[in-house]
Amino acid sequence: MKIVVGIKQVPETTNVKINEKTKNIDRRGISGVINQYDRHALEAAFDIKAKTGAEVIVMTMGPDDFVVSLQEALALGADSAILLSDRAFAGADTLATGYVLSEAIKKIGDVDLVLLGQQSVDADTGQMGPIVSEFLDMSQVTYASKLDVDGDTLRIKRYLETVEQDVIAKLPVLVTVTDQANEPKYVNVVEIAKSFEKSVITWHASDLNLDDDRVGQAGSPSVVRSISSPEAVAKDNHKLADNPQDAADELVRILKDKNILVEDK
Amino acid sequence: MELLKENWIFAEVDLNKVNPITYQLITKMNQISNLPVTVVLIEGSNESLEDDIKEYGPDKIITIKNDQLAQGNDLEMTNALDTLIDKTGRPNSFVFAATVVGRSLAPRLQARLRTGLTADCLDLHFEDDDTLVQTKPSYGDNIMCEIVVPNHRPQMATVRSNVFEAKKFNNPSTKVINITNLKVVKDNQLTILSKPLPQESAESITEASRIVAIGRGDKTEENLTNAKRLADKLHAVIGVTRPLTDLDEFDINDQIGQSGQSVSPDILINLGISGAVQYTAGISNAKTIVSANTDKDAPIFKYSDYYYVGNAEEFSKALERALQ
Repeated sequence: MKIVVGIKQVPETTNVKINEKTKNIDRRGISGVINQYDRHALEAAFDIKAKTGAEVIVMTMGPDDFVVSLQEALALGADSAILLSDRAFAGADTLATGYVLSEAIKKIGDVDLVLLGQQSVDADTGQMGPIVSEFLDMSQVTYASKLDVDGDTLRIKRYLETVEQDVIAKLPVLVTVTDQANEPKYVNVVEIAKSFEKSVITWHASDLNLDDDRVGQAGSPSVVRSISSPEAVAKDNHKLADNPQDAADELVRILKDKNILVEDK
Repeated sequence: MELLKENWIFAEVDLNKVNPITYQLITKMNQISNLPVTVVLIEGSNESLEDDIKEYGPDKIITIKNDQLAQGNDLEMTNALDTLIDKTGRPNSFVFAATVVGRSLAPRLQARLRTGLTADCLDLHFEDDDTLVQTKPSYGDNIMCEIVVPNHRPQMATVRSNVFEAKKFNNPSTKVINITNLKVVKDNQLTILSKPLPQESAESITEASRIVAIGRGDKTEENLTNAKRLADKLHAVIGVTRPLTDLDEFDINDQIGQSGQSVSPDILINLGISGAVQYTAGISNAKTIVSANTDKDAPIFKYSDYYYVGNAEEFSKALERALQ
C-alpha cells in the first residue's frame, strides 16, 4: 500500500499581528511547525504502516524552509519526503495549491491512500482535501474521527452536526483527519539523527506536468482584497492574588460587583 | 460559460430536517441580493422540505427529489450539482453552510467548476450588484480577510452558523421547480451508514451560560470530582479539551474548540488549560473568561479577564469555598 500524507508548515502561534507598513501579516520571529491536524494525519498513516507495512510518503508545498517539517516527518517514520517548491507556485490560493498537489500525487503514481489534516490552523479553510480528491478523481471522506484499516478497505467514523456516520471506504480514497482520530507521537533524538540519512526530494514546477495557467497567482480565482485585525474585545488580563484562597475571594468579589455572579442563582 | 443572474443557497438537510443555517442564509441573501435568491434542495422522493423553506421567502426553490442522492456522499452530490449547473448556467454566487457537510461538498464543487471559494465566512455583502465580498477569519480568528472572486462564477462561500439571524418572510411569488430526471452517478467506493447522534439530556455546552472547562492536567478522578463540585455550585456545565474526550464520560459534544463546539457563556472558568489555538478558537464568544494554570506564560492568560497563576485544583477548591 502506498500512502501520501500532505502536510503544511504553519506559524507556531496564530497570535499574529499586521505590520502597519506593509499591511501584511508579520511573521517575523515566529518559527514554523507542522500543522497540528497534519500530525494526526501522519499518525494515522504510521498506524496503517505498522499494521500493513505500507509505504508512507510525506509531501508539502512551500518555500525551502518547509524542509524542517518534512525532516521531522521523516524522523517520525515517513519513508520519503517531497517538497514542492517553485517561485511559480507563489500566491496560490486553495485551488491552485490543490492542483499542484494533485499533479505531484499523480507523478508518484499508484497511490492508494491520501491523508491530510482536517484543516490548517492558519488559513483554516479545510478545502485542500476535497479539492485534491476532485482533481485525482478519488472518493473522499472528510473529518475522520476514527480510522482503521481492514485489508483493502478503511473503516471510518465521522460526525456531522446531528449525525454519526460509519463509512466503509474502498481504496483508493482520500481521507482528512480530525484531532479525535489518535494521539500523535513526538520525535525522539535517535530518530532525528537517523532521519538525516533520508533526504528530502524537491520537485520544481518543471518536474511536474503542469498547465501554467493553473498555478500560482495566475491559477487563483480568489483575491484577498484586504486583511485587518478584528476589534478584539479588550480583555482585562487581571492577575489574581498569589494565594489560592485570596485569589478566589478576590474573583468572587469582582464577579459579584460586576453582576456576573448574582447571589443565589 | 453560460451565466445565470441568480444567487444560490445550498439547503443543508441532516436526516430529513433542514439545518437552521439554511434559513439564516436565506434571510441574509434576501437582505443583500439584488438578484433572485434560489435555494437548491436535495431530498427524498416522499419529502416536502420545500414547504419549510418557503416560510423564509426565497424567490425560487429548485427541488431535486431523489432517494439515492438524499443519502449521497460528497462526490455524488458534486456530480448532481455540477449536472444541474450545466443545465441552468452558472449562478452568480453559491453559498453553503460552514458545517462538515458544507465544508466537504463546497470545495469539491469548487474544484469541479474551477472557481474561488471562501471558507467559514462571518459576513457577506454585494458590491456593484454582483461582486460578493466575503469576510473570513484566519489564524484562529486573529486576522480578518476580505476576499473577492473577480473573474470566476459562481462566487462560492461557506458561512458559519448563527452569525446571521433567520426571519420568516412571506414571499407570495416563491417558485418551486421540481427536477426529477437528474442523472445520478453512483460512487461505489464508499458505503455510508448514518444514524442520529444521541441528544444530550443535560444542558449542552453550546447553550450554557456558565461553563467550567477542564484540560489534560485535570484528567485524574479526584480533579474531575473537584471540577464537577465547582460546576454544581455555580450551576455550570462541564466542558473539556480534546484529550479528555478519551475518557468514556466525555465526547465531542462536551469538547470546546475547533474540532468540538464553539461556546458563548457569560462566564467560562478554565482549569489547567494552557490555551492552544485549537481550544481558543472555540471560546471567542465567551463574555468573561477566568483561567487558572501553573505556567505563568500560559497562552490562555492572554484570552482571560482574570487569571490565577498556580495549581488549578487548589484554585477550584478555594473558589468553591468562596462561593459558600
